[in-house]
Amino acid sequence: MKQASFKRFSIYFDQHLFIAITLLSVMGLFFLFSASQGNMTTVIKQAVFVVFGLCLMFALSQPDPDIYKILSLSFLIASLALVVITIIFAKEINGAKRWLDLGVFTLQPSELVKIALPIYLASYLFEKPIPIDIKNTFKSLIIIGTCFLLIASQPDLGTSLVVSMAGVYILFFAGLSWKFIGSSFLIFLISLPFLWNNFVQPFQQQRIQTFLDPSADPFGSGWNITQSKIAIGSGGISGKGYTDGSQSHLDFLPETETDFIFAVIAEEFGFIGVCVLLTLYLFILLRCIYLAFNARDRFCRLSIGGLSLIFASTLFINLGMVTGLIPVVGMPLPFISKGGSSLLSFYIAFGIIISMASHKKLMQR
Amino acid sequence: MIDIEDRYIEKRIFKSRLILIYIFFGFLFSLFIYRTYTLQVYSFSSYELASIENKTRSVLVQPARGVIYDRNGNILVNNVPSYDLIIQPSQISNIDNYLDSLSKFIYIPKKDIDYVKEQFKSKSTYNRELTVKRALSNEEIAKFEVRRFMFPEALIDERYSRASQYPKLFSHALGFVGGVENEDIEKILFNQGKKIGETVFKYANGYLIGKTGFENTYDAELRGVFGEKIYEVDAKGRFLEQVDFIEPIKGKDIITSLDLKSQKVAYEAMEGRKGAVVVVEIETGSIVTYLSSPSFSINEISNGISNSNFKKLIQDTNKPFFDRASQGRYSPASTIKPAIGLYGLENNIIDWDFIINDPGFFVLPEDQRIYRGWKKGGHGNINLENAIIESSNTFFFSLAYESNIDDLIDHLSMFGFGKNVCMDCFNPDKGLLPSPSWKMNNLNFGWFKGDSVNLGVGQGYLSATPIQLAFYGAFLSNKGSLEKLSLLDNFLEKDSLEFPSLNITDQDWVRLHDSMIGVIESPRGTAKRLKNLKSYKIAAKSGTVELVSSDSKEDYELIRQDLNKRDHAIMVAFGPMPNPKYAISVVIENAESGGSVAGPVAVKVLNSLIDK
Repeated sequence: MKQASFKRFSIYFDQHLFIAITLLSVMGLFFLFSASQGNMTTVIKQAVFVVFGLCLMFALSQPDPDIYKILSLSFLIASLALVVITIIFAKEINGAKRWLDLGVFTLQPSELVKIALPIYLASYLFEKPIPIDIKNTFKSLIIIGTCFLLIASQPDLGTSLVVSMAGVYILFFAGLSWKFIGSSFLIFLISLPFLWNNFVQPFQQQRIQTFLDPSADPFGSGWNITQSKIAIGSGGISGKGYTDGSQSHLDFLPETETDFIFAVIAEEFGFIGVCVLLTLYLFILLRCIYLAFNARDRFCRLSIGGLSLIFASTLFINLGMVTGLIPVVGMPLPFISKGGSSLLSFYIAFGIIISMASHKKLMQR
Repeated sequence: MIDIEDRYIEKRIFKSRLILIYIFFGFLFSLFIYRTYTLQVYSFSSYELASIENKTRSVLVQPARGVIYDRNGNILVNNVPSYDLIIQPSQISNIDNYLDSLSKFIYIPKKDIDYVKEQFKSKSTYNRELTVKRALSNEEIAKFEVRRFMFPEALIDERYSRASQYPKLFSHALGFVGGVENEDIEKILFNQGKKIGETVFKYANGYLIGKTGFENTYDAELRGVFGEKIYEVDAKGRFLEQVDFIEPIKGKDIITSLDLKSQKVAYEAMEGRKGAVVVVEIETGSIVTYLSSPSFSINEISNGISNSNFKKLIQDTNKPFFDRASQGRYSPASTIKPAIGLYGLENNIIDWDFIINDPGFFVLPEDQRIYRGWKKGGHGNINLENAIIESSNTFFFSLAYESNIDDLIDHLSMFGFGKNVCMDCFNPDKGLLPSPSWKMNNLNFGWFKGDSVNLGVGQGYLSATPIQLAFYGAFLSNKGSLEKLSLLDNFLEKDSLEFPSLNITDQDWVRLHDSMIGVIESPRGTAKRLKNLKSYKIAAKSGTVELVSSDSKEDYELIRQDLNKRDHAIMVAFGPMPNPKYAISVVIENAESGGSVAGPVAVKVLNSLIDK
């Protein structure tokens, strides 16, 4: 117990997560150098984010988790307020208002909601009877729905779905009844045609159609996924070598620095490189299970579970998209893709996870 | 506060549900690993190929065509380089303005301007080039070079034309090259394992293919193999660097059996008259001279000819495009007589001592119809030798009358009549060897005895090309056996024709040759005027083809007022005797006398080959 040895000034730390995340971040910089065609400005900018992110993660792991429990409502309200401000004031980029220009840094407030929502729900359910009853289920769903609608109106369907997913994970851990899950799923299936026709944008419909048959339009919307598969496939077992990927360096691959950076890695380092990378991710996820199982109370347990699953979901959506298993949705590869808000949000999430895992109470609740 | 019991329930729910989700994620994880494994390991080769195809683009490099030589190593057709003004249409937005500014200092003929405008659109899709003006003068090159900075889209570079130093000599024998249909070039490239696409051209007028003559027959050998420049390209199709270069393989240079000198002599001797001259080397069956007259310039046709000039050639009533040597059909006329005589000997109808009385005409016993000879009053008592020397019609009318028509036709087919006798001539005509069944099928008439009588003097339905007549002469000179003709110096595995008869002895052949020598050497010979034109002996048989039959000289005087109805002159000859090396056929349309008009041409050409 660290707090026992450092009574006056204790440091809260989980070396497993810290080393794994630092390693991923550094590897990410290395990959980004190649993916950005050796653009040092991009790499340095990203390096600043990484260093800042690691510091932030370390700092956020110091306070006692109870502070997060107390402040969780304020966090959620503040981050939702930022979303509202963004909708009202932000400049439209590509038909969407998602980013808040803070001068040095462009913030995407919806990324904060992704963390604030599960933590708030965990604290909300802290004192409630478990398994969760119908009344609390609906109260929680209203909160989740509010977040979803706000973010979806930016519009940003991808993030709003991930945010809702984060909320639903918490409800699921809190013992949401199978009957409820089953009937909701049924209602969803029945209303699918209605949703498709009324809420799914034409470009989103096209993405899904492309996914079902990418060869139908190989030079149009199927281009990205076709080129991504060629990049990954042509990497073979050992890859083409660092900065020697022809798919990425001759511009065949789209979005090499962000969504499709995995294809660059797979092309240049092959199946071996992919396995090394996935081992690191797997290690982080397994460590999170261990920490969740040994969390000191229900709030920490639910929060660690929810936050780690957001991480896992983002990871799998990205990997699935790049390899053509699911339709193209803008989702970064955690800790590796270039990016501000989403990158920082994961450092924040893991900072909170470490805080929750390293602060122990003598009497566990 | 929540009691211990609740805490356990809650923990149990949490743990089981977390594990459930992780099992689900574990499934996704395995699925993902499997997917990556499939892409990277299982389907690696196909994706590797896709990635290479993605990043490379190959540009074809046109090979040079083979050079065509004559039998003595003289170049007949070559690739001639010139400096051409070339533009890159893909980089030019307004071609009209561009040509205007080029025209300010380099004169570009209107037809070239029209051509460039016409081609501009199709050439601008790739990095294709377009030739604006060919064969620039030094002055024009200098004018362009000083303004070069103003025209980065244009360049002056070396391009080839397919050209002959003797553009009109071998027009039909060698033929010309020309543009090729996409379908055909695709086939050619497919056979070379390549696909049609952007090409670096060696020739100013792009893809070429042999259209006629030797260029066509031996196109596969002459054309060569396309090379490839392989470039790395990016997703926008920009060329980054050349990564590989497969050199084109030049087409095979071919030595033909043709002889420049004799061809020149033949061309000059013909003086542009309609007709043909063919000389065959007897020992090998190779064609030494192959002239169809009048001729045209292959250089013009091969390298782009203006529409109006082309029309002129097509509409010329003398038909310069028509290959009279291998496609012109002429009655052999009296030149057939040696073959008919051989028939009589072979079937014991006559021997060398057999004599008939020639009153100047032959009366067909069936219907009393009269068939006339050329000499009024006839040749009197005459044997085979003199019948050949003096060209008695009556002798051969009666011999043909006595013949079995089916046997006679079989006999004539041995000499190449009605057959293709050339291995590699372009589109050779087989002429016509008529037969009773042919006549029934085509003219709906039975065979008359009169038809046989006409066949005896090479008139009527029988026709042959000058190539066939040359073959016939060579076959006679070689005593009844000959390889098929060819235009190559060393043609491998040739078919040959052989005379199977046992009744024609070597003595018969020698007497036949002597009779044919008499055609020139005897004071009564039909071609006695040729006697002093040469220093050696020639065996010959002249012929005069009647286009319109007439009963008297007065009638013919009327007919010959129409130049196109005048008789054709034919000569078949071989020499030097007694050991002949060359056989020749000369046909001159509307020249009236085989002996005195076609004969001198034949002698001049043989002189050029024999007097060395």
